[in-house]
Amino acid sequence: MLQARKNRLWKFFIILILSAGGISLILFSLNSKLDLFYTPSEMFEADIKPGYRIKLGGMVKTGSIIRNGTKIKFIATDFVKEVPVIFDGVPPDLFKEDSGVVVLGYFLDGMFEAEEIFAKHDENYMPPALSIEEKET
Amino acid sequence: MIGELSHFLSLSAVVIFCLILIFNSIFFFGKIHPNQLSLSLRMFNQACSLIFISFGIFVYLSINDDFSIAYIASHSNSQLPIFYKISSIWSAHEGSMFLWIVFLTAWSLLFINSLHHDHPLKRKTLLMLSLIILGFLLFLLLTSNPFERILPFGAIEGADINPVLQDPALAIHPPMLYLGYVGFVISFSFISAYLFHGNFELEWEKDIKDWSLVAWIFLTIGITLGSWWAYYELGWGGYWFWDPVENVALMPWLAATAFMHSLYASSKSSVLKTWTMFLGILIFALSLFGAFIVRSGIIDSVHSFANDPQRGLYLLIFSGLITLLALGIFSYRLPSLNVSRYIVSGSKESYLSMNNILMITSIFSIFLGVTYPLIIEALNGEKVSIGPPYYNTIFAPLILIASIFIMASVDSLWQRSKPIKSVALTIFIPLMLSIIFIYIVWHVTAIFSILPYIGIFSGLLILFSYLYRIFSNFLSKKFINTGSAIAHIGLGLLFLAVSLNSILSYEKNLNLAPGESIQINQSIKEFSFDDIKVLKASNHDVISVEVSLVQDGKNISLNPQKRKYSTRGQITTESSIHASVLKDTYLTIGDQLENGSWTFALKINYFIKWIWFSASLMVLGMLITIFKKKVT
Repeated sequence: MLQARKNRLWKFFIILILSAGGISLILFSLNSKLDLFYTPSEMFEADIKPGYRIKLGGMVKTGSIIRNGTKIKFIATDFVKEVPVIFDGVPPDLFKEDSGVVVLGYFLDGMFEAEEIFAKHDENYMPPALSIEEKET
Repeated sequence: MIGELSHFLSLSAVVIFCLILIFNSIFFFGKIHPNQLSLSLRMFNQACSLIFISFGIFVYLSINDDFSIAYIASHSNSQLPIFYKISSIWSAHEGSMFLWIVFLTAWSLLFINSLHHDHPLKRKTLLMLSLIILGFLLFLLLTSNPFERILPFGAIEGADINPVLQDPALAIHPPMLYLGYVGFVISFSFISAYLFHGNFELEWEKDIKDWSLVAWIFLTIGITLGSWWAYYELGWGGYWFWDPVENVALMPWLAATAFMHSLYASSKSSVLKTWTMFLGILIFALSLFGAFIVRSGIIDSVHSFANDPQRGLYLLIFSGLITLLALGIFSYRLPSLNVSRYIVSGSKESYLSMNNILMITSIFSIFLGVTYPLIIEALNGEKVSIGPPYYNTIFAPLILIASIFIMASVDSLWQRSKPIKSVALTIFIPLMLSIIFIYIVWHVTAIFSILPYIGIFSGLLILFSYLYRIFSNFLSKKFINTGSAIAHIGLGLLFLAVSLNSILSYEKNLNLAPGESIQINQSIKEFSFDDIKVLKASNHDVISVEVSLVQDGKNISLNPQKRKYSTRGQITTESSIHASVLKDTYLTIGDQLENGSWTFALKINYFIKWIWFSASLMVLGMLITIFKKKVT
């Protein structure tokens, strides 16, 4: 084989290996870094490993917000199942009773520990899954 | 009546653009008549002016509170200052789309008329631009008509602009961003026209270079303003959230940055020509993809407009067709474009192309991050979201490799390789300085976390390489490309600031009663909640809090607020920021508890001002590049 051709083949293989490595790294980190989204009912059905970070979307149950210092406890509901949520910090302005909420955190021993409560620009925001259900009812 | 006039003018523009396209396609196969171009150009100019007048009337209606127009009624209010009455036009989907089109038209008009009359690509570029403008005008009028009336009786008062959007930075942010996005329609149409034309002896780079540089500046300013606004106005204390809509702005920016770089290589020597063309097409394609993501509501994001499948479908089909058209002709011409010149390894082009590959990789990773949740949902119905950790892990290694190439390229030459020995010193000194500096960082902060340290190291490599180069060139009185040096120092600073910010910043959640005072840590010896007042402003009630801090031996007073807007009943948080060179002290009020005490979120953000400062350096560098070329 010609030397030039051999070189080109080598280069081709190196590029192939590098890009394969890169793509698998990307896919690997995609799978380990994504957060699954659940409604309360779905969350109870799904078998979630402890220490697995998820997103939970629901409505804040009327009259369920209890504050103690900077700690907040409330119940997220999809009108079927309820999940108690605890959070330490200042929630966004649009966090209030009887409106949509999305929390990111861990579900442990029947209690959802939220790391973050998501703010939405839109005051009429509802988690998509719930707004579909509401339209049906 | 005036509203209908405005509507009518836009419709007439549609008719004229249609006429241009029909008229030119009839003669497509025949011999070109000398007056054909003149006529098309006149029609084009007139159609563009019609759009401007139509938009001008719409602005006039908005200033004069014509609440019989549904869009104005639901986004403006008679109590607003004129400035916000105008900016309310681009506070929601319909009006912002209108603005988008106006900018599209403006860029097209300026560019077409700047081309010499005998320019061989003029007619084809004009047709491409007409097609794009027509497509978006139809989108506006068919699916999101801003001229719609409330019949039979208009509203008495407008529903008001969303209060978080009542802010100077946000009033300017969308126009800047749109100017950037649509500015690349020029490179897109011109390159497509070039490929259709098929005469590859033509020089095309210089005709679009300055236009693209200017569009890049607008895009950079737009993104920076958005990030700055989110930081001080939303009260979350962050500057970048890897939100899908931020990502779709970052993708064209990365493509545009890669394009600028390879445009240089392509005009210096003929290598990278096809690559540059591909990038020139890609930028606008990504802008179109961004418009689709934001305006279809397909992805749940803080920015996205209301969910409307009809709009999404139209945009998807139209953007897809336009992109396919350009990429189709590109791949058709690719065999004949092939420039059989190898890139000399170790030359400036070789480093540029390596970094181009890295930028494409990062665009691809972001694209995957944005679309992956959609793919997963379509495949197995699971809802997932992808947050900052994904992007951080992807970007850290990419940034490191990129900065090594940047460092190597600082001292390299066009088309020639440089022996390793002669560049060893210029690499060795910045490398040593970076290692020493990173050791100091580790020593001072006593924090170690791998990703931010990669970022710091990358930033330092770039920074020291350029500083060393400037220093040595100053001694030997050699030439240095000032614009490029400043822009890259900006990039180095950006990496440095972002990484240091992520390891040093911290936040505390506090709960205090009025009059109470506590110590927070060694830096903030005293935090006292002095006073709370309820005030009334023209369109909102304010809860205003006075807090004084003793931070690092200095007295600081902060005044965060909560506002409740009367028309929408919306509550907003106004942060109070005390900025020093190294850090921002950022305070927001939370809620009142039953015992009368209040919660606070106190954030200490390090190097956050440096992020925007480094973005300004990049813009400055680019400006210098544009103006220096004019002088010499």
